[in-house]
Amino acid sequence: MPDVKPTLRQFIIDNFLFGDDNGLADDTSFLEEGIIDSTGMLELITFLEETFSIQLDDEELIPENLDSINNLVSFLSKKQVVQQPQ
Amino acid sequence: MIHHFLENSAARYPDKTAVIHDAQRATYREINDRADNLARCLQANGIALGDRIALLMENSVDYIIAYYGILKAGCVAAPLSPALKPDGLTYLVDNLEPAAMICTFKSERLLRAASINNKNLKLLIIKNPKQKWEESPFRVLSFEDSITAQTSALTPMDANPDSLASIIYTSGSTGKPKGVMLSHGNIVSNTLAICDYLFLTPEDIQMVVLPFFYVMGKSLLNTHFAAGGAVVINNRFLYPADVVKQMIAEEVTGFSGVPSTYAYLLHRSPLAKYRDRLHALRYCSQAGGHMATQLKKDLKSVLPEHTQIIIMYGATEAAARLAYLEPDRFEPKMASIGRAIPGVELKIVDEAGGEVKNGASGELLARGPNIMKGYWRDPDATKAALDENGCYRTGDLAFKDSEGYFYITGRKDNILKVSGHRVNPTDIEDCLMQTRQLVETAVIGVPDDLAGHRLVALCVPLENELSESVLQKHCHQRLPKHQVPGEFVFLKALPKSGSGKIDTQQCAAIYDRFSN
Repeated sequence: MPDVKPTLRQFIIDNFLFGDDNGLADDTSFLEEGIIDSTGMLELITFLEETFSIQLDDEELIPENLDSINNLVSFLSKKQVVQQPQ
Repeated sequence: MIHHFLENSAARYPDKTAVIHDAQRATYREINDRADNLARCLQANGIALGDRIALLMENSVDYIIAYYGILKAGCVAAPLSPALKPDGLTYLVDNLEPAAMICTFKSERLLRAASINNKNLKLLIIKNPKQKWEESPFRVLSFEDSITAQTSALTPMDANPDSLASIIYTSGSTGKPKGVMLSHGNIVSNTLAICDYLFLTPEDIQMVVLPFFYVMGKSLLNTHFAAGGAVVINNRFLYPADVVKQMIAEEVTGFSGVPSTYAYLLHRSPLAKYRDRLHALRYCSQAGGHMATQLKKDLKSVLPEHTQIIIMYGATEAAARLAYLEPDRFEPKMASIGRAIPGVELKIVDEAGGEVKNGASGELLARGPNIMKGYWRDPDATKAALDENGCYRTGDLAFKDSEGYFYITGRKDNILKVSGHRVNPTDIEDCLMQTRQLVETAVIGVPDDLAGHRLVALCVPLENELSESVLQKHCHQRLPKHQVPGEFVFLKALPKSGSGKIDTQQCAAIYDRFSN
């Protein structure tokens, strides 16, 4: 099973930080730091659905699931995309 | 005066909750006392009547305290987007020459990167500062200290209803931002007119997802403070399920958005599923540009039956609002912006300035006590926007029907020439949205040697498998040939300005990159 964290991290850096990781930590809040706006959120959702072959329910679009790399990893784990990271 | 809205409600309902933001609840008394303290602090630090103060904050209780505190001190509030880049902030600070700036620690890096050392700046107030500012040529205070009890008394100010109250920079799609000068009288008259047609009462609770630093968000604040109601601030619209759940929990009575707000809410939130739990939601209002008719119909179908949709029309230059469509005329007049709000006069004129007959198209002009005083330090732009009678030229093309309802048909500067035909991109966008296969779309004109322009539709599909041929076929069946886009480009999202409107200039830049 591939480790999703580097994939997610690279997507965020490439698409929202213009290639510069800019101190992006695994627990950095996308909302608090202004990394993603609502346009970007649609991109992130599409990326998750396409890359991990999952369907996101509208009710799942909450900060607890999507607002940091760590939250995304946990969420994908719940969606049974990957094992819970060690 | 604008701050009397706060003072009157603080006198009448001192312990009533005025603002809810996450776990924070602030009463009218708390906000009024802190705004008084801030005003004293500004005066004690040499900030004078009529001085301009830049306010760089996200929506928060602190923003509200700062806004009313600035006005109480007799100063001019100039709200700026905290999402500005250094070059953008440098330009605005040079243009505005503020005597003070108020921000949070989140803007400290931005302030360092921008050049803010203009000769007028005397004071910088920062909420929860993290950086060291000792070497600065201006005084630096913490926001926390500036809103706690001050020893000095508040000097009564001589400002009057005609005094400048706010400079709001417009997010125009072309050129540099222009500072719209609004007086106390402009904003007060418009606020009272809005309270009147929305029948706002102290029972009203407004969900605010739009930024206060633009005129629409600011009018949500002022109207609810005038009525003694409450505002719920939710800065997490990125996560719309969270917003819908809070609307239920706080029993909000009003929600307001621009077209992209509703597109996102309709397609990426559990609004339809929760409709039976939105018992208190009295209305949803929409402004900020044309919303596709299909989107309006879809919105109506997912909202509870008791929730009215109120279409509104306005401009920063009008202190927010110029027209609204009475909700009981929503079905028959859905494509209309309604009629003028109380105190405002609207008319449509031809190129010679003469009023046209009902049904004929021309430019929409507006007159009323809410029309701006002009653009800050830009007499040429002011002269172009305001005629000798104080009428504001909106730049929108419109017609009026026999019942006096106005319909916007496009922007004066956004009509495309395609093979000799005048084409309005809005018509094509409306047609594409009828497919119900798109989240949003923007039609742009790409310069073409033969046709003048060729039409390109930038589309955000609801499902990934949507094909170009479906859209093409739909357009061919409904539009004349010259209005059918020759190219469809599928994107994951469209670029927006800070106010949430689709940014057509950025759309053109994206298409350039895409085609190269």
